[in-house]
Amino acid sequence: MSANRLVKSARARPVFKNLDLPCDLVTDLVRSLARRGVDYADVRFERHLHESLLVEQGKASSISLSESSGMGIRVLAKGSWGFACTPHLAPRSIQKTATRAIDLAQASVMLNRRVSPLAAVRAVKAIHRSPCEIDPFDVPLSKKLDYLLWANTTLLGPDSIQRASTHMDSYKRHKLFCSTEGSLIEQQIIECGAGLEVVAQHGNETQLRSFPNSHHGALAQAGFEYVKQLDLVGGAKRAQQEVLQLLRAPTPRSNTTTIILDPTQVVMQLHESCGHPTELDRVLGQELSYAGGSFLSPECLGQLRYGSPAVNIVADATIPGGVGSFGFDDEGVPAQRTELVHAGLFVGYLSSRESAARLQLSSSSGAMRAESWNGPPLVRMTNVNLEAGEATLEELLRDIKNGYLLSTNKSWSIDDRRLNFQFTTEIGWEITNGKLGAIIKNPLYTGITPTFWGRCTGVGRPEDWRLWGVPNCAKGEPMQLMHVGHGASYARFDGVTVAPAR
Amino acid sequence: MIGESRLLSVLSKMVRRSRADAVSVCAHAKTRQVFRFAHEAIHQNLIQEEANIIVKVIQEHRIGLASAQTLDTLSLNRCVKAAQEIAAHCPSRNGLPHLPEKHRIRFLEDYDLETEKTSAGACVATLKRLFHLCKGAGSELAGSLVTGVDEFAVVNSSGVSCYSASTLAGIKLVTLYRQLSGYASGVARRWKDLPIDSLLQQSLKQVLHQQDPISLPVGTYEVILEPEAVADLVTWLSTIAFGAKSVEERMSFLAGRMGDTVCDPQITIVDDGTDPSGLRMPFDFEGVPKQRVVLIDEGKAAGLVYDSHYAQRFNHPSTGHALPPDEVEGPLPLHLAMNPANSSLAQMIRSCQRGLLIPRFHYVNGLLNQRETLMTGLTREGTFLIEDGKMRQPVRTMRFTQGLMEALSQLRAISKERRLIANPSEDLGCAVMPALHLAKFKFTGRSES
Repeated sequence: MSANRLVKSARARPVFKNLDLPCDLVTDLVRSLARRGVDYADVRFERHLHESLLVEQGKASSISLSESSGMGIRVLAKGSWGFACTPHLAPRSIQKTATRAIDLAQASVMLNRRVSPLAAVRAVKAIHRSPCEIDPFDVPLSKKLDYLLWANTTLLGPDSIQRASTHMDSYKRHKLFCSTEGSLIEQQIIECGAGLEVVAQHGNETQLRSFPNSHHGALAQAGFEYVKQLDLVGGAKRAQQEVLQLLRAPTPRSNTTTIILDPTQVVMQLHESCGHPTELDRVLGQELSYAGGSFLSPECLGQLRYGSPAVNIVADATIPGGVGSFGFDDEGVPAQRTELVHAGLFVGYLSSRESAARLQLSSSSGAMRAESWNGPPLVRMTNVNLEAGEATLEELLRDIKNGYLLSTNKSWSIDDRRLNFQFTTEIGWEITNGKLGAIIKNPLYTGITPTFWGRCTGVGRPEDWRLWGVPNCAKGEPMQLMHVGHGASYARFDGVTVAPAR
Repeated sequence: MIGESRLLSVLSKMVRRSRADAVSVCAHAKTRQVFRFAHEAIHQNLIQEEANIIVKVIQEHRIGLASAQTLDTLSLNRCVKAAQEIAAHCPSRNGLPHLPEKHRIRFLEDYDLETEKTSAGACVATLKRLFHLCKGAGSELAGSLVTGVDEFAVVNSSGVSCYSASTLAGIKLVTLYRQLSGYASGVARRWKDLPIDSLLQQSLKQVLHQQDPISLPVGTYEVILEPEAVADLVTWLSTIAFGAKSVEERMSFLAGRMGDTVCDPQITIVDDGTDPSGLRMPFDFEGVPKQRVVLIDEGKAAGLVYDSHYAQRFNHPSTGHALPPDEVEGPLPLHLAMNPANSSLAQMIRSCQRGLLIPRFHYVNGLLNQRETLMTGLTREGTFLIEDGKMRQPVRTMRFTQGLMEALSQLRAISKERRLIANPSEDLGCAVMPALHLAKFKFTGRSES
């Protein structure tokens, strides 16, 4: 397992010296919490940097840098949790925050009767750093802006272009986790990404095209080298051509047909119809007042046919580059690769130590993640990936008499149990007799999760498989926005309801 | 709570510290005490305390933005320096708007000490009572309970100095019984104004039925939308249509249509950050006082919201709708209200031959075709079939796909009563909405496999 590899690598390095993290403060606090008689406690110090660059209409329109640091304290006392946080590291602030967390937990005891056991985890002292060749915060601002301006001006020109925007985001997160069980884990995660959007209008028709993905989806745990290989300038030319073509394109016919989703759209399909329903806290009713529940109830585990035999879905927090990757989750559980769907059968959940224990699973899947120091960890997606098959795009197209290839998510919606979904994409292409044809605008498709995945009749080859990011996965009260990853190749589905979005 | 003098002092020091041509600093400090519960247990309780400070400096026609989530002096010094460095490296832009001048606002009317001091023990005792009531009714309970404090402040180098403090309390109650679930939510500025018991009864009323839910065929139905369902739709409409940026980019259905009739003449939608029936906020993140803006006036496209940037581009005064300066969405209305009329929910139900009563929607998305205000979403708890003026049976989840302005053009009635809708866990935004009776609403899917 990669987690063991991480622990070994940590032992080989001088641990906890490089990142200027308040190691003594955190370990002292954990010792004091243990002395105060809690069943369990963990303390997470985090320091975040986020740089956001936006160029619109050939001009730099927003350049911002945000910095945030603080400490989150989570305690379990007599079976009840309490969480409190502070940005102030003065001893008085920290002790006050710790007392608040304990008081919250103790107040809940008057209601909570059930003790919350935690699935076991091995205590480790470890360090993890995400792969990064060029720290994006070391790259001169002018160089990053020049790159965005170049791509942006490539989008401009025709009168129909109403908006041209290019963006770049860089994140650096330092985390220090310490628990009363003896874990002490330091992590540094760097992410970088970029993309563009172009809007064109003619008469009453307005169309949008993004590159390389919509919703800031071109984001990776990597340095500036990732942005350089995105070829925004080349993508800008193609996006401009396509958005102009969309203005005059026909809509798809309303019918039941075969569709091929390109990897950019498989991302959202995975996210909404597989990632969220496999979150075990949802299954246990803990999101009922906000995000909803799940159709994947515990009796479905190992029994429910989620998809066709071509469908293999994993949650993989160990994959390099994925924005859902880490060394350890925010409970100190090592990153894992967990099968969610094996050959179409539903076989696994995303879980925490507590939710895993509730279902008497042997261990947590290591999916507890917090957006920042100021929120408690929740069961979140890591990188939920559709494993590659063997088919080339040509092979997937070959026996389709009539259908559509759909690309780049535009809108998304799914019911509170994650069954009935509907998506629209920015663009589609007609498929006729195994060949790609004309562009179509405003394609919409809809279905029911297990029926849809059950009609998956082909998954693309590894060469077309690519990891994308979803940087705005919302969950929890207060809402936490998480960066999660999805890897996919092309995927083909038969018997899908397609319609024009109008 | 940080307090007026300390927060304004911190921001003023940051303004003085900067040597830029112009500087504006805004802050949002908040505290939230949140209890989330399900199946006879509180599974998450937390106290979240944070302060987000954003500084914008303008130096030789160049803008730099930086933010920090702390009041620590060293960090804030670093934040000002970072903004100046960004400005120094940023390309210059001609025609930058001037900072707003000399607004001085102090607003504490919506602050309630008792709400701020609501103890964890009091919250848990309330929940224990609710669990007991639900158990007695044979139902299970899930949801969340929130109390909190918000402080907003803006100080700039042109004399703006604004501060507001407010409290809020909110609850969401999901009741579960057999195959059914019910829902009710409430939010108020004061803990004691939260009608917790009546909300529980409202949620229980939706589930304590002897009939099992039925599946209905897809198609067009008459609908009665309760205020929360109306808020779900109108809030989406506001994000895609009522901001000056979406009109400039031609994404809004209002682009080129000002003055046109866009829906039924009984419908008037405004944004009013000063309305005491909403979660008012007297100034925006540039320190401009909030204006009441009529967006749809008796069915006609009437207005947009502006910040100083888009005010200059449109040659229109700012309406006080600037978001935090690091947001790139442009100005947005955050205090929506629809004018009431003279009907009532009971009258609407009585006058309905065959239709659906919908308390709220789930996962609405308005990005399908923004020019046509095409939206999709799903029904959730408490949806009932109405026949011959009577509520007949609960209905399983259905998906709608509907142009909102088209639906609002086929209005049957608007209620007199309105409700304040907001998510108390979130930072900003509310809607004060009536119930609507619409003649046609298109349902395109169901949730059964």
